[in-house]
Amino acid sequence: MKLAEMRESLKDFWGEFKKEKTGVFGLILFAIFMFIVIFEPFLLPFEDANTRWRDISYWQDWPKSSPPAWTNWFTSDKKAVTEQLTEFKENSQDLGAMVMKEFTFDYDYQFDDAPNDIIIHGNASGQPIVVVNIIRPDGTDLEVYQSTYNAGERPKDIRISVDNSSRDIIYNFAKKFETPEDLSKVKPGLIKTTNGIFAKAESGILRNPVALKGDYQIKITAILRSKADNMETPYIVLPGKVSGVLGTDSQKRDIWTGVLAGVKWALLIGILTAIVSVAIGVIYGVISAYLGGWKDALMQRVFEIFVSVPLLPVLIVLSAVFEPSIWTMVLMMALFFWTGSVKTVRSMAMQIKEETFIEASKALGASNFRIIFKHMVPILIPYSFSSIALFIPGAVVYEATISLLGLGDSQIVTWGQILSDALHSGAVLNGLWWWVVPPGLAIAFMGMAFAFIGFSMDKILHPKLRTR
Amino acid sequence: MYWKFALKRVINAVIIYIILIFIFSALFNVQMEQTVYAQIDENIKMETMQLTDMKPDEIKQWAEQRKEFYYKRYNLDKSVFERVVIRATDALIFNYGNSSIIRSSGGSRDVRTIVLETIPRTLLLFMTAMVIDVLLGFWLGIKKAQKPGKGLDKTTSVATMVVYGMPSWWLGMLMIMAFAYMFKIFPSGGFVSTPPPPHGTWAYFVDVLYHLILPVLTLVIIGFWGRAFLTRNIVLSTLQEDYIMSARARGIPERKVLYGHALRSAAPPIVTMGLLALIVSFGGNIIYEGIFSWPGMGNLYWISVQQNDIPVLMGNLSLTTGLYITGLAVLDLIYGFLDPRIKVGGKA
Repeated sequence: MKLAEMRESLKDFWGEFKKEKTGVFGLILFAIFMFIVIFEPFLLPFEDANTRWRDISYWQDWPKSSPPAWTNWFTSDKKAVTEQLTEFKENSQDLGAMVMKEFTFDYDYQFDDAPNDIIIHGNASGQPIVVVNIIRPDGTDLEVYQSTYNAGERPKDIRISVDNSSRDIIYNFAKKFETPEDLSKVKPGLIKTTNGIFAKAESGILRNPVALKGDYQIKITAILRSKADNMETPYIVLPGKVSGVLGTDSQKRDIWTGVLAGVKWALLIGILTAIVSVAIGVIYGVISAYLGGWKDALMQRVFEIFVSVPLLPVLIVLSAVFEPSIWTMVLMMALFFWTGSVKTVRSMAMQIKEETFIEASKALGASNFRIIFKHMVPILIPYSFSSIALFIPGAVVYEATISLLGLGDSQIVTWGQILSDALHSGAVLNGLWWWVVPPGLAIAFMGMAFAFIGFSMDKILHPKLRTR
Repeated sequence: MYWKFALKRVINAVIIYIILIFIFSALFNVQMEQTVYAQIDENIKMETMQLTDMKPDEIKQWAEQRKEFYYKRYNLDKSVFERVVIRATDALIFNYGNSSIIRSSGGSRDVRTIVLETIPRTLLLFMTAMVIDVLLGFWLGIKKAQKPGKGLDKTTSVATMVVYGMPSWWLGMLMIMAFAYMFKIFPSGGFVSTPPPPHGTWAYFVDVLYHLILPVLTLVIIGFWGRAFLTRNIVLSTLQEDYIMSARARGIPERKVLYGHALRSAAPPIVTMGLLALIVSFGGNIIYEGIFSWPGMGNLYWISVQQNDIPVLMGNLSLTTGLYITGLAVLDLIYGFLDPRIKVGGKA
């Protein structure tokens, strides 16, 4: 086929395709997925998620199994949303013998249910004394933390969890407001620190705290006694009761990040597997049909053997035994997927073989190779595209299934692995729907996108199935 | 003529089965032997613990002897090729050896017993789903073909594509979350309640049925759209044949054209393609049992992968392959029987 001819037929095809509403919808979905892949660095809330997905320390500040932030819209009792405070006012005071560095953070608290903790981070070196004060909207100044750090010469990340370190301080602050009778019912070691910090200073602060809304100031003071002491780049994490677009899992990971990071792998696995297997299948089918005779018979026997393999069990055993990377997994799937298109291709090639132009090129002395790849395979290209589209969902689902069994590539984040973690951590049992639904929905949407595209192409290519 | 075709097909299936078992044996030989070595070491350790009246170097010598004995017994002293052949022959006569951890419900460590007791449960689940699936799909497909391009046809076709790439096990997870934990209507999994009602009674049957509903429902929801779509396409392309046009031209009522003429020739491919899709789904959905803790072959894959029990994994794979090939062969036999237009016995 000439290039101009090809462009013309492509134009015709697009004209037809445009009329298929579902096909266009599939293309839009595909475009969205591509958009996510291309702009992933800007979309990911956690930049290092791709490399540190399984690193517990990377996620340690986030809340465990918290629902998505938007669940607040449907409840009257607003739960604190996980927040990271990075903006602060810095104030340095030189007192001669020592330097006092003050970092003041503003936190606008407008929820009914307090965050789980206040976690303070900063880079410290030497032996700074770190003091944390919380100034409440009612003017109370709570000194919740004071300690000397021994950080060493190199700047080191320090982490202060207010929830753990200031339980006694909050208890002592709050007990003034409770009657002795109520106080006797409270165990000092079991109170929730943040509940006290974010509650109105009145009777019931320990037992039924009422949120005190307004502007809180969190002041971090670093007292530096020598030149070697320093503290800089502080930030505060307030792990809430709800967080992010899709909440967090039981290992404190942000699920939205995982779902976004999984898009590229699903696309890669799906498209690569589909292209490789359809290419093999088409070439195999054409060669088989063209050669004919005993060669065809032999090739059909080999094909039959591959068809008789129960795909998933074999893939599972192969993965269990060989522990594949993503690339070997694609190869393994392509090894069995190619059979899907052989039968149709062979019957189509049988017809093409009898066409006069094949006879003509044979008479002109064209080689078999030339006839197969120059004359026969190109005719099957439109068919190949529709089967590529229809193969993709299968490949994505198979990868997810193998990952579900815990046999996937552990270097990457795929939807199947997120679901596997969910299943093994009892997300189904505990009703953590925000962990189970999104990754599966993503798989279903990807399947849908290519099913829509593929079926629409099929419809155009097989006019017989068209509605009357 | 048909018998010749049938015999040919059966022999073909058997040959394919033998070839596949050989390929599996060659492919997984190393892993299989590792478990055998481990089992031998374990055996010898157990035996030496019982020896009390021997000096250390005597024990060592004795252990060496035992090792040699076991290596000979398990043919580990032969060449790789011989070992593969022996392993394959063993697998062909369903002798899969002993499991490393998993035990059957009777406590046996024989892999054959372990796998065989799961087969009926898997068949029960997939057969039930298949029957409902084909019936529903057939019904909906005809409805769709009667008015192609209209509301029902369009919406159900879209539904087909929506579930096209949906993993059945994921839907299973959602169904369990919804119907077992949120609304406590169905059990979350398993084959019978614990403790089970007495075996063989009516109550036992009902209990199994009760546990069967949710997994079957999930499979049907995923599957029957596809079946309907297929039925529609086959019926529609039959409706465009010349003899249908001539039947219409003769003034035969549309209902009769559809049920009398079109369906008569469309039914065999619909049934067999429906069955084929389900056999393929058996190969592709088997894992799904694990979500429902349905103690079938699929669940056994989960357990053996998690326990790293290679002999069970291999035995299960061999029997799954056998079942799969049998299914495909039976399908071809039915097809050849139903559709006389197929040139059985002649050149394909």
